[in-house]
Amino acid sequence: MAQSYDRYEQIKRFEKDLSQCMKCGFCTFWCPVYQEEHIEASVARGKNMMIRGLLAGELDYTQEYADRLNKCTLCMACTVTCPAKANIPNIIVAARADTVKARGLKFPSNIVYRWLLPRRRLFGWVVRFASWFQGIFMPKTEGTIRHLSMFLSALGKGRNIPQIAPKFLRQMVPVVNVPPAGVKTRMRVGYFSGCMTDFVLPDLGKRIINFLTRNGVEVVVPREQGCCGAPVFLGAGDFETGRKMADANVKAFEGLDYVVSDCASCTSALKDYAKFLADTPQRKKAYEKFAKKVKDISEFLIDVLDLPASAYKPSAEARGKKVTWHDPCHLSRHLGITSQPRQVIRSISGVDYVEMPNADRCCGMAGAFSMHYYDLSKDIADKKAASIESTGADIVVSSCPGCEIQLIDSVVRNKLPVKVMHIMELIE
Amino acid sequence: MEKKLIAQLGKIVGKGAVLTSKEDLTTYSYDGTATWAHMPEVVVLPTTAEQVSQILKLANDNKVPVTPRGAGTNVSGGSIPIKGGIVLCTVRMNKILDINKTNFTATVEPGVVLQDFNLALAKQGLFYPPDPQSFLGCTLGGTIAENAGGPYCVKYGVTKQYVLGLEVVLANGYIMKLGGVTVKNRTGYELMMLFTGSEGTLGVITKITLKLIPMPQASKTMMAVFDDMTVGGQAVSNILASGVVPAKIEFVDNFVLRRIEEMMPMGLPVEAQALLLLMADGSPAAVEMETKQIVDTLKKSGAREVKVAKDADEAAKYWKMRSAGFAATFGAAKTVLAEDVAVPRDKLAEFIGKLGEISERTGFFISHLGHAGDGNLHPAIFTDVSDKENFAKAQDAMEEIFEAALSLGGVLSGEHGIGLEKQRFLKRAMDPVALNLMIKIKSLLDPNHILNPGKIWEEERV
Repeated sequence: MAQSYDRYEQIKRFEKDLSQCMKCGFCTFWCPVYQEEHIEASVARGKNMMIRGLLAGELDYTQEYADRLNKCTLCMACTVTCPAKANIPNIIVAARADTVKARGLKFPSNIVYRWLLPRRRLFGWVVRFASWFQGIFMPKTEGTIRHLSMFLSALGKGRNIPQIAPKFLRQMVPVVNVPPAGVKTRMRVGYFSGCMTDFVLPDLGKRIINFLTRNGVEVVVPREQGCCGAPVFLGAGDFETGRKMADANVKAFEGLDYVVSDCASCTSALKDYAKFLADTPQRKKAYEKFAKKVKDISEFLIDVLDLPASAYKPSAEARGKKVTWHDPCHLSRHLGITSQPRQVIRSISGVDYVEMPNADRCCGMAGAFSMHYYDLSKDIADKKAASIESTGADIVVSSCPGCEIQLIDSVVRNKLPVKVMHIMELIE
Repeated sequence: MEKKLIAQLGKIVGKGAVLTSKEDLTTYSYDGTATWAHMPEVVVLPTTAEQVSQILKLANDNKVPVTPRGAGTNVSGGSIPIKGGIVLCTVRMNKILDINKTNFTATVEPGVVLQDFNLALAKQGLFYPPDPQSFLGCTLGGTIAENAGGPYCVKYGVTKQYVLGLEVVLANGYIMKLGGVTVKNRTGYELMMLFTGSEGTLGVITKITLKLIPMPQASKTMMAVFDDMTVGGQAVSNILASGVVPAKIEFVDNFVLRRIEEMMPMGLPVEAQALLLLMADGSPAAVEMETKQIVDTLKKSGAREVKVAKDADEAAKYWKMRSAGFAATFGAAKTVLAEDVAVPRDKLAEFIGKLGEISERTGFFISHLGHAGDGNLHPAIFTDVSDKENFAKAQDAMEEIFEAALSLGGVLSGEHGIGLEKQRFLKRAMDPVALNLMIKIKSLLDPNHILNPGKIWEEERV
């Protein structure tokens, strides 16, 4: 079919991915969405053909179209297993961007993505304000999870989620955190605290800063840093706002050799600026330079800091426990980081590591995906829960607060006696 | 299609199992072929034989075309709804009903994906050899409707050798049982074989009983490179003539070999004209003996270099290389016409020589890869469907390839089926009385020609 890219500037950039698909259908085996729905529109091959239909003028970007195209966790399982190496997630993001450019964002996404997320302090206050009302409006859940907060309850109908922290990370730690007396400063790094760590898991942030400073790393937490932009430019396709957020983050970490992040989704998004948002040679250069500085926490510990195994002492919660690891898609397939977190866990004395089957299978969270398609997201998560259960582990760890929300929800729903933790919570 | 009919389909399968939006229909308009496409009017995803029966009855009463399909990974145009109508997709009928270790049988629903089946069997030390290379996507129902083959078929035979029993829904909705679970069964005509390889034109398969074998205890993988393609082809015939039947013998040419070396450098001589990948399997002692015999024959036949994979990891690397080469071929041009001819095994070298002549005469580069051990090659011509003149010439060149295969006593299709892709050559490849008989059988089983109409033979001319 004849294809026209006139209205699809971003899709055109990934034309090669589009034309490379030879329709073999191997992606059906790996796609977590297809494995639940068993329809062609779920899977990369079908989405690819839908986009070809769009370019050929045979299909329009209607709500129904967007709904099918967006039903993707961007987990990249199709891409890494594709014999033709066609990266369909690239095109899905590009199609979102072209649509936003042509039609704008709808309410309430426009308020949240254009106005709220880029303003970190204000965003924090909105989150806080929402948390005051959680007891009034929201049902209480059982078990280890406390109340539902109003803001995060947007994630969906009765999901078990953690509570908004009484105090945010930015209110708890100074900008510059130096190693304690007697510890020589080896290097100076920036710490990127994603929205989840800042607002929901500030203790995790504190723990990471403490661990790094104790091991000779001066940790800078720039106040000017904001949301990584993943929900804005990857999720919603708003590249314009995404660029503002990217520029702000690049600027916030200027002059630092590394930017360490505890969230796989943030890490991957920070590194994706160059691929999706670089509209000028200057931005391309700045984003590429920035991407090189960004390190996932376990990658930083193993590849840069290269600590001896003795540096990893078990935390009180982890001592003597059986632990399994869930690979966040953004870490394993997007960034190719799989051995480092395992090495960290294996280095912790007194922790028994057990590999779960299909550890790298998507948990089904994928940000807004799990809000729009909660039932589907739950079905995907149930397969993950079964994997976790089969290991007999006491603790499942990951390094993506997004995955953690999903894992908490699925272990609670499946009544598994398993604790969900961030990998850095295993270490004292 | 009438709204009433779609509503009735909805009553049969439930709301979530009927697709009618333009977006969804687009995604059921293609298969694994390069250029064939046609939109259905509705897609249904039944979960039981009873539902399939009701759908077919409704379609038959209203004379609406039904194209049955599994995952749509075939490469013949077989699952394309060329006359519109209903696409009946069986992927949601995906339960493994029984695996019997004593009987060496398994009973499955048609939508079970071959790889899922293989993984379930491996846990019990069982093996189902037919291995079409779409195994990650293809459904068992589809492999039976297409009578699929693959690399393992040199030694173990194709799908039809493993079908013991079928449940088939006929065009009028009757749910018919054929065969059973026993290896021997001499009860009347082999009607099961009518449906095996029927390409969805005679009925919809809703339950399958398959024969299994124990998982071979050991295997060894070998690789041999040749300076000349025909010498490589002759080596295959020599191995078979020496009395050994390797589990697999795969052939790739210089083009594919170069792509492999680019993608995963492993020191292959890039000027070599052919590469053979071979596997011996069975008991450890037999594997040792056969490997030695194969290596000797390869060397005697003029192989420039022969390597035996030292362990399972290296063997896996060789086979991964083969699939990477396959992918490279299909990504090499805008449109790749890949065929599926098979020639008698002792004619392989001669056929490769003829392909060279055709390439020279037509000016088209022809890449060769395929299952050399059973004489089944996939010669590929690189073209561009949007360049009408070039595409027409490419099709002419393909026709010459068919003629060459037929003249050597070969067949149009080794394992892909006729579908849409090869029907214009069917008359030349079949006894006219046999072709006529085939059409009569079709009319007997499906008098209204609702099941996958427009496939296998060209309608206008009969």
